Parts: sequence; structure tokens; C-alpha cells
Amino acid sequence: MRMEEDDLEQIARKICTKRQLRFLQRVGEGAFKQTFQVVGPAAVPLALKVYKSAGSNKRDHREINAMLRCQHRNIAQIISVETYSYQGRKYTAITEEFLSGGTLTQKGQISAAQCLEIGIQLIEGLAHIAGLNLVHRDIKPDNIMFRSDASTPVITDFGLVRDLSDSSMTPTWASRGPGTPFFAAPEQLNNEKDMIDWRTDQFSLGVTLSYVTLGDHPYRSAGISDREVVDRVSSRDEVCSWFIQRASSLGLGSLSRMLAPWSVDRYRKPELLQNAWRQQKG
Amino acid sequence: MSVFHQMGHHSNNLIDLPEMSSYAGAIFSPINCTEAEATEQIAEVRSSKKTFEIIFDPQLYVPSSERGKLKKWTYFPKDVDTADPTSKAWWTDLNKKLAAACQRLKVDAVCSPLTIPKVFDDEYYLNCVRVGTELSKSLKDRKIGVLQTVLVSLAELTAERRVPEIASIVSKTDADRVYLVFVGSTAPRRELSDVDELAGAMRLINTFERNDMRVLVGFCSSDILLWKAAGASSCASGKFFNLRRFTRQRFEEPSEGGGQLPYWFEENLLAFLRQGDLLRVQRVGLLSDASQRNPFGKEILLKLKTDPWLANSWRQFLYWFADVEGRLTRGESAAETLMKNADANWAKLDKEKIYMEERENNGTWIRSWLNTLREYEKR
Repeated sequence: MRMEEDDLEQIARKICTKRQLRFLQRVGEGAFKQTFQVVGPAAVPLALKVYKSAGSNKRDHREINAMLRCQHRNIAQIISVETYSYQGRKYTAITEEFLSGGTLTQKGQISAAQCLEIGIQLIEGLAHIAGLNLVHRDIKPDNIMFRSDASTPVITDFGLVRDLSDSSMTPTWASRGPGTPFFAAPEQLNNEKDMIDWRTDQFSLGVTLSYVTLGDHPYRSAGISDREVVDRVSSRDEVCSWFIQRASSLGLGSLSRMLAPWSVDRYRKPELLQNAWRQQKG
Repeated sequence: MSVFHQMGHHSNNLIDLPEMSSYAGAIFSPINCTEAEATEQIAEVRSSKKTFEIIFDPQLYVPSSERGKLKKWTYFPKDVDTADPTSKAWWTDLNKKLAAACQRLKVDAVCSPLTIPKVFDDEYYLNCVRVGTELSKSLKDRKIGVLQTVLVSLAELTAERRVPEIASIVSKTDADRVYLVFVGSTAPRRELSDVDELAGAMRLINTFERNDMRVLVGFCSSDILLWKAAGASSCASGKFFNLRRFTRQRFEEPSEGGGQLPYWFEENLLAFLRQGDLLRVQRVGLLSDASQRNPFGKEILLKLKTDPWLANSWRQFLYWFADVEGRLTRGESAAETLMKNADANWAKLDKEKIYMEERENNGTWIRSWLNTLREYEKR
């Protein structure tokens, strides 16, 4: 494992040499790829993602294809995609804009006013993704980054993206679909594939915004563990009353509908969610 | 809030009557006419009724059955016996031909095509949505609306989770209107009466309506009371739907049955009455104000013993259907009050030892409907 990590950094450095980029440091690592900070011509900061050759599969292609199709200010932009051969193995590498404003996780707790501002932009990003018939399936604070202005949120990491026009990659027998359970919607947790659509992302965005604004998961009743929270979501219990009251008192009442256990009770179309959020914002 | 006339055999002349002006539109069917005849009929309706909404139901519920002139229509698939109904390509081709036919017909909207499945599982509903969304997209720029057709088995609605499950899948559609058809096993001339099934059906309607989807319940009868209480935007009825329920068997029988008898619909009993029944009920003074106001009812009563009244019986029911919908929408009548009143009147008939010609026409379903309202409100 260690050997392969070193290899990816070495490959990243070779790519930098070839493309006249300046290698700075490794900034992230996922199951199938590593991300490096590099500097491009005219000192533009860039992110270079190198995919592990063993992990180079349909999933990577889906991620790259989805990101190439997305053209929106609140979605991470791919600048180039290339394939490199190294010691007889092929590696896919993508260059993206470097998001220097950090993640939503790193921001810690945010105010209701910040939630409204960040929320409307992320909803616009989700609407764009939904318009392409895509579902991100991994919306969470770690996957929301900020541009250098620290106020423009950007949806990143399309590693679990699903194109609803294609057949699913998750087998029906799997008890749970892919995603980060703590932020996932019931239909995702239960692998109810026929119910997955943009409203699945709407739910995760609802949890994400609730978590960073109110400091906890909206389904956490007193004294229960994270695992029990996920169980409450997957069994379609109701959102906790403490959450409904607090969200409403902060002028964030739309969050409760975004978090409905059944997708039919969430906002049906992105424009309806956008309108509700705009009205809330005043 | 509106009513639609579900066109049947020789029923195009009914919608032209001035007394039927409260009908917001009609659902045209390919069963009783060719494409050319339908185009002509639609043009005729258009010339006299400018705001009338014309919806086309392609009626592919059991495509292999003998259904009048359906097979002569250009969209009717030539390969129904060998086709794979789960094939996307098959539906895409059908949608393309249907969209073209709708353009020629000059309809305002079309119900997405569907077949009655053997099993009403999630995959079936997802396919309904795929077909509906595809048709919706292809007609978007042609100013023809699409209603997402959904056939729902009443029996499966008894499971509490099934309602939100179905609604969650169906609400994925691009269409904003749902053409909802309940499939059951109720025998001809009998009322729907399973409390759990009906409460589930009401919850399904309400779930769609409260989530920005307008529901048009197809093939209604006096059960319109339940659907309106659940918040349905629109209901549609044919002239004699109560006699031929929406069951699979319906499509396996000849579509033009002989031996039609005239029936009077009586609001005071929420029941269809044969001539002898009507006379007995009239004698004990139990005809409702609604019946006595009904212009076709008046005509029937004037010539009841001398003239045949089959055609007027259709009109009498259709007039009541639109009239009660209007009263329920305006809050002038309440479903529960009408049911309680009918229940009390059946008790009076019992006391007077007045029995209907059909043994099962005894008003027992009204108690089930009242219980349905309780069950629905409970959840």
C-alpha cells in the first residue's frame, strides 16, 4: 500500500515536470486517488488528482465524465484529463482548479445568515447536477470546499456520482448503497435504487447545512450514538422536534422539508427548493 | 378542481349539452373510433367549446385484448404479442408514434401509455415514470401536456409503507399531473368497499396533492366522494362506469356489451337504482334535492312509465357527478354528511321493508366509506 502511495506522488511529480507545473504538496487521499497541490503557468494554483491504476475503473470514468459535463460556479471545474503510462501501468490524472478556501468542515459552526447564503449557492449547484440527470450521492461538509474568497462554496468529489440514465452499479442484493452513512438519505442507506434521484442529494445537503449550523444531526434524539442516528434515518423515523423548533426559530424552516424521510415529501423539483430558500432568505 | 368526461361508446353527444357545461374537459379514447374519426370529433368539440381541455388516453392497458378500433391506430404496436414490455426501446418507439398521433389529433394533453402489469412492484412504477418523463420531454415544445399515468392495485395499498413508496417513485416524473387509476377486483355493479384499500387510496391521492402534483382520478363512480375528501384536483367518469369496474377482466370481455339497463343515481342513498327501485324510493319521499334539481332526473320522472330512459340515465348520473364535485369543492356539501345522510336513509328503507331489486344493492358500502374516512383521518 505504502509503495503505491509513493508511486502516485512520483507520478504526480513526473506529470508536473512534463507539463511545466510546480509540485507543492499532497493535500488529500481517497480510496482510489490522491490529490496534490501544484502551481501552473502564471502562478495559478491547481489541484492534480492521480487515480490509482488498480482502482482505475468505471467509477473513475463516471466521476470524470460527470465533472466534465458540469459547468457551474458552485461545482469544481476540471481543466484537463490525461492518461500517463508509468512502468507499464496506466494512470488517469485530472487537473482541477485549486480551492484554497478550505472545506465546510474546517469552517466549524456557521451562523444562520451564513447558512442561508451558502445554502442558496449549493442548491443552485445541486439544481445544475440534477438538470444533467446526475446524483452526487456524497454531499457532506468534507466535500464542500470554498474558493479563495472564502464565500463561494463548491461541490467537489464526484466519486460516487450516478447517472440516472445508466444502469446502477450497486447490486440490488447489497444491503446499503454507497455514500457516507451519517449524511445519507434513507433510500441510499436502504439501497432502494428505484427511489434515488436528486432529492437524495437534497436530503444530504439538508443534513450538511443542519450539522454545520445547529451543531448536530437533525435525527439525533437525546443521548444516542452516530450509529443509532443512522439507524433512525434508515428506518424512516421523523426528524427530531428539537430540530424543527430550532431551525424554524432561526428562519431555516425549509430544512425540515428537505429532510423528510420519504423523498415524495421533500421539494419535488430544484426550482421549488430554490424558491423556498430564496423566500427564507428574504 | 374540475370534472372530466371519460368518453365511451356513443358518448360524444353528451358533452355538447348545455347542462354539462361544468365539465372542464373530456378524456378521449381510441376504442370506439378511428384516428380520423377522433380528429374530426375533437375539431368539432373545439369549435363549440373554447376552454374545454381535451385529453387523450391511449388505452394500452391490455394491448393484446380485443379493444374496438384500438388496433387500427398508428401508435398501436404491431408486435404486442412478442414485445418485451420492459424494453426501453419498445416504449421509446411507442412514445414517438403516440406523440405524432397526439399532434394530428390536436389534443391539449395525453395520458402516458401503460399496460396493466402482473406485479405492481417498484420496477414497474419506475418504468411508468421513465415512459411518462420521456413522453413529457418529447412533447414539451409542442404545447401538449402530459399526465403521468399510474395504475395502482388497490390491494397493495393496505400496507402502510406502500403509499409513500409508490408516491416517492412516481413523483420522480417530469409531469406535474398524475392520471391515477385504481385497479381492483370489485365485481360489476358493486361499490368499492374495502376500508384499508380505500384509506390507502385516499392517502396516495393526498400525498401527491400536498407535494405539488395535481391528481386526476380516472374511471370514478360515486366514490368521487372519497377522492374529493382526499383532495383530488379532478375526477373523471364515464357514463356507466359503475357497471364495469377497472379490473383486468374488464379488458378480456367484449367492450360493447348489450343488455344495458337504465339506472338512476340517487344521492340520498349514494346508490344506482333500477326503475322499480326508483319508484319505491320516490313513493316514500326519499329522492334528494340534488335529484329533483337534476334536469335529466326531472325528464326521467316525467316519462318514467311511458318512455325508455337509458340515454337520460347516463345524463342524470353525469350531471350529478359534476354537480356534487362542484358542491364539494365550494364547501356546500361535505362527503361525510352525504354519507351519513345516505346511511340514515338506508336505515329508513329497512324500516319500511323496502328492498332493492339487486340483493347486494343494500347500502352496506356506505358504512365502509364512513370507516374509510375515519381511518384516513387517523393517519
